[in-house]
Amino acid sequence: MPGIRFIWSLQMSEFSLYLLQQLINGLTIGSTYALIAIGYTMVYGIIGMINFAHGEIYMIGSYVTFIVIAGLVSMGMVSLPIILVVALVVAIFIASTYGWTVERVAYRPLRGSNRLIPLISAIGMSIFLQNFVVLSQGSRDVALPPQIIGGWAFGDPSVFEVSLSYMQVMIFVTTFITMTGLTLFISKSRMGRACRACSEDLGMTNLLGINTNKVIALTFIIGAALAAIAGLLLGLYYGVVNPFVGFIAGLKAFTAAVLGGIGSIPGAVLGGLILGVTEAMTAAFFPSEYKDVVAFGLLVTILLFRPSGLLGKPEIEKV
Amino acid sequence: MNQFRKTLLGLSTAVCMMGLTAAAQAETLKIGLAGPATGPVAQYGDMQKIGVMAAIEDINKAGGVNGMMLEGVIYDDACDPKQAVAVANKIVNDGITQVVGHLCSSSTEPASDIYDEEGVLMITAASTSPSITEKGYQTIFRTIGLDSLQGSMAAEYILDTAKPARVAVIHDKQQYGEGLATAVRDQLAESGVKAVMFEGVTPGDKDFSALIAKLKREDVDFVYYGGYHPELGLILRQSAEKGFDAQFMGPEGVVNSDLAKIAGDASEGVLATAPKSFDQNPVNQARVEAIKAKGEDPTGPFVFTAYAAVEVMTNAMEATKSTDSEKLADYIRAHDFDTAIGKVKYDEKGDLTESTFLVYRLHKDGSKTPAE
Repeated sequence: MPGIRFIWSLQMSEFSLYLLQQLINGLTIGSTYALIAIGYTMVYGIIGMINFAHGEIYMIGSYVTFIVIAGLVSMGMVSLPIILVVALVVAIFIASTYGWTVERVAYRPLRGSNRLIPLISAIGMSIFLQNFVVLSQGSRDVALPPQIIGGWAFGDPSVFEVSLSYMQVMIFVTTFITMTGLTLFISKSRMGRACRACSEDLGMTNLLGINTNKVIALTFIIGAALAAIAGLLLGLYYGVVNPFVGFIAGLKAFTAAVLGGIGSIPGAVLGGLILGVTEAMTAAFFPSEYKDVVAFGLLVTILLFRPSGLLGKPEIEKV
Repeated sequence: MNQFRKTLLGLSTAVCMMGLTAAAQAETLKIGLAGPATGPVAQYGDMQKIGVMAAIEDINKAGGVNGMMLEGVIYDDACDPKQAVAVANKIVNDGITQVVGHLCSSSTEPASDIYDEEGVLMITAASTSPSITEKGYQTIFRTIGLDSLQGSMAAEYILDTAKPARVAVIHDKQQYGEGLATAVRDQLAESGVKAVMFEGVTPGDKDFSALIAKLKREDVDFVYYGGYHPELGLILRQSAEKGFDAQFMGPEGVVNSDLAKIAGDASEGVLATAPKSFDQNPVNQARVEAIKAKGEDPTGPFVFTAYAAVEVMTNAMEATKSTDSEKLADYIRAHDFDTAIGKVKYDEKGDLTESTFLVYRLHKDGSKTPAE
């Protein structure tokens, strides 16, 4: 195959090579679930609510990426790294603006009211954004030709060749850098400390003179930025976007967040990876139509035994 | 007071309805155009629209039908069975008695129930599922062949020409895709070729890497995919990325320039069964020119089947001097029609007596050529 370089001869049984291939596939998709899941988990960790418009922010990130890339290419830009960086910056900026707006419009005016009310307004926001994109961009699939072509292969060519495309590597690397950056930000920076304080006790933090509105807005912005990164990566990986991709992606990421323990950032990452690998392994050894059945079955089972998720802390009723 | 109100309401409704019928019976005759105008498969709805609008224009230029001008009214079912039922009811309520559509078999089937009951003549230019015409409907016809024919044509091609070592059959779990895939698998099995894999994928899914790794492991060298282009496009694209190199084949639901847009170079050489390229037929040259002059694409597989659907309808209306669906249906069953897709003749069920499918090879620029 053109563009695929054989780099590493590996003497392993056919089965273990196949398993390795499916593990790579699962981790790729899982790490993008994790990126989106962090947005859910951070918002939940701080205000105890689910941001149902989060999947739509991811979708908008994908659209912005497509528009920027198509625009730059038509303007005669040829350097791929520059195109990608510009697309990333613009996608993060626009998606963050949407994230901030969602908080401002659908959450802040309702702060302090019954929990169900912001939930409904977030669902309303999700439907609004979806239809807004349908009306402004059309409801059809928009396709982008492959930008990052080729990859590596290893294994035993006579038995089974494991492929690892450049795009998959880019997804791993970007996800890893983003996660590390986020962890450092939360654990080391002043603002990160404020975030942690808010998730401990929002009311108390407020009393101690921290602007909690600002912290909550920041949480939405960070979540949206990560969703935009996932939007860019998956947009480039699949090459197709339509206004409805946010729903499924949001559902899967939400599942990942719950699986890992909602409110916990390492939990969201773990949940995303487990979900991705489970899907890939199910598709590997059973008919692939069962992959959702098994993935969600796993969710139910884990929640039965650990109701607060794998790494979640049991909720203590705050008085 | 109450009584008075009721009378007033009744009167005004009656007046309104009279107004409506009067308007409908004035110089135009409306033809409903049902299919997806939005959603992932809206391109096929466009093909149908291009064909129907071109036919209506030509007929109106020639003086209309029985002195009435035709008008196409578009209804969007988004290829969604639930919305198709709503659309069918709306068409009935709007007093339209001739429909070209629906497009996706899963939409056409529930809708035809309503049309047949309410006396609406429906001709689908694209739905190929055999079960649609199996219920003994009176007023349901098509201008396209059946999946059973299309599937067996694909299977024959696989057996006689492609002769692959290991075949996999993949489908999208929907009526159309799974129906075709089953037909292909069964016919291959009858000739002693067992498909090494028979699996469904979820429509709307974007990641097929696990499926592709499995195909690679099974050493598959030929994949038949029953479904539409968005999923096949992604499967092709991801196969190329993962170095899985097999011959792919699909039904007419993948014949669309978007396949090339999604899959890029990976779409070169994909096989597909599709209605004959009627735009290449010299009979249609003037029509093709007229469609091109409007800046539209005459090469889609359903453009001329839709054109022919309007021709069949209007020929019957002219011959019977009526718009009564039952009279029209009887006439259509009993006669031959010369249309843009050649001579059209129906059997009792409302199916074409001759298949219109051919095997094509698709190219990365979105065009197609007959397969060798």
